[in-house]
Amino acid sequence: MATEHESVELVGDELVGNIARSALFAALMGAGSYVSFPNPISPIPVTMQVLVVFLAGIFLGPIWGGASMGLYLAAGGLGAPVFAGGSAGFAPLVGPTAGYLWSYPLAATLVGALVHGGVELRDYRVGTPRLVSAMVAGTLVVYTLGTVGFAYVQGVSLQSAFWAASAAFIPVEAFKIAAAVGIVRSDAIAAQ
Amino acid sequence: MLTYEPGDSFAHRLDPRTKLAVQLSFAAAGLAHTTPVGLVVLGLVAAGCLRAADTSPLSALHGLRYAIPFLAVGPVVEAARLGAPWFEPAAAVEPALASVRVLLVFFVAAAYVKTTPVRESRAAVQRLVPGRIGIALGIGIALVFRFLPLVRRDLLRVREAQAARLGDERRLDERLSLVAAGGLRRSFARADALALALRARCFAWNPTLPVIRFARRDAAGLALAVALSVSVAV
Repeated sequence: MATEHESVELVGDELVGNIARSALFAALMGAGSYVSFPNPISPIPVTMQVLVVFLAGIFLGPIWGGASMGLYLAAGGLGAPVFAGGSAGFAPLVGPTAGYLWSYPLAATLVGALVHGGVELRDYRVGTPRLVSAMVAGTLVVYTLGTVGFAYVQGVSLQSAFWAASAAFIPVEAFKIAAAVGIVRSDAIAAQ
Repeated sequence: MLTYEPGDSFAHRLDPRTKLAVQLSFAAAGLAHTTPVGLVVLGLVAAGCLRAADTSPLSALHGLRYAIPFLAVGPVVEAARLGAPWFEPAAAVEPALASVRVLLVFFVAAAYVKTTPVRESRAAVQRLVPGRIGIALGIGIALVFRFLPLVRRDLLRVREAQAARLGDERRLDERLSLVAAGGLRRSFARADALALALRARCFAWNPTLPVIRFARRDAAGLALAVALSVSVAV
């Protein structure tokens, strides 16, 4: 074991809480890739993943929401089976879905910043229009980067990338936005 | 599922930082040389990596099955036309080469996952990312590995309970909302319990990590990484 002989410095209480929540949210994000629901519109099943991106921004705020998604990518890149279909390792981070994966920290940060009105963590129970527009903006970020990433990695045009990798998924995002609004409104979560 | 397996292959004994360097430079070289010749050379390198990790290409392919539709759809969509001649095979060549490149990166990454335990990956991250950010990142990564199976079981349990009560006949957003709310509640409870436990045990900025050290055998891996990186510039 690598040992140190200097004095020990404790991690601050607030930071411990934030690290624990970010890690659990990252694990929730990974677990979300295993839970799929039948899609009412197309044959491709719906997973919870983008919903968790929204929830990370809403409940953890822009900084820790983004950090938790960054942790998700780091853990997946180092071998945690957290990516689509339980895949793991560095390859998905540079594979056809790389654009989606890299967009998650940005989208969570954006949703958090729009809901909390800045980088400070405030009450997340804001009006429905603000909540919905924050998530629509997050969805735009996810699909823009997802499409551009697919086009770049697969060497196809943006138009082909949109039809191949994004078009079938976008309508379902409305259900996820509705679900996130339902969770925030239901007061089922007593997060501070 | 693709995951770490204990063993004594050549790749198992390499320093995790060497393996990370090989992966990164391999991906960069793949992007720079997506040509038939470049991919043949990289294919040989990837085969060597799998061999060093004692991993069969089939098991690596199994871990990648979710990505196969994406890899296949790229060339097809690019070559399809909305009128005569309907299909233009020449347009599919570039996307097909890109798919092969992605496949090769998957093989090299599979060799890393198969041969590197979490504690070594974490130690590598904490040594590569300086300061407290690196320490926090290392801790966070270790916690994600630890809690993933628990949170996954939480979510599946909520979904099973929902199905048992005919909840799977509800609308999609209601189902998503119920499962996500259940998962969130449990995750927050777990996070609070974890934070309390960490504080009670004087959680400090001085983690005890396994020793990782470059050895002579790492020279081969590092030379490969350097060669791949140089090939990007050439």
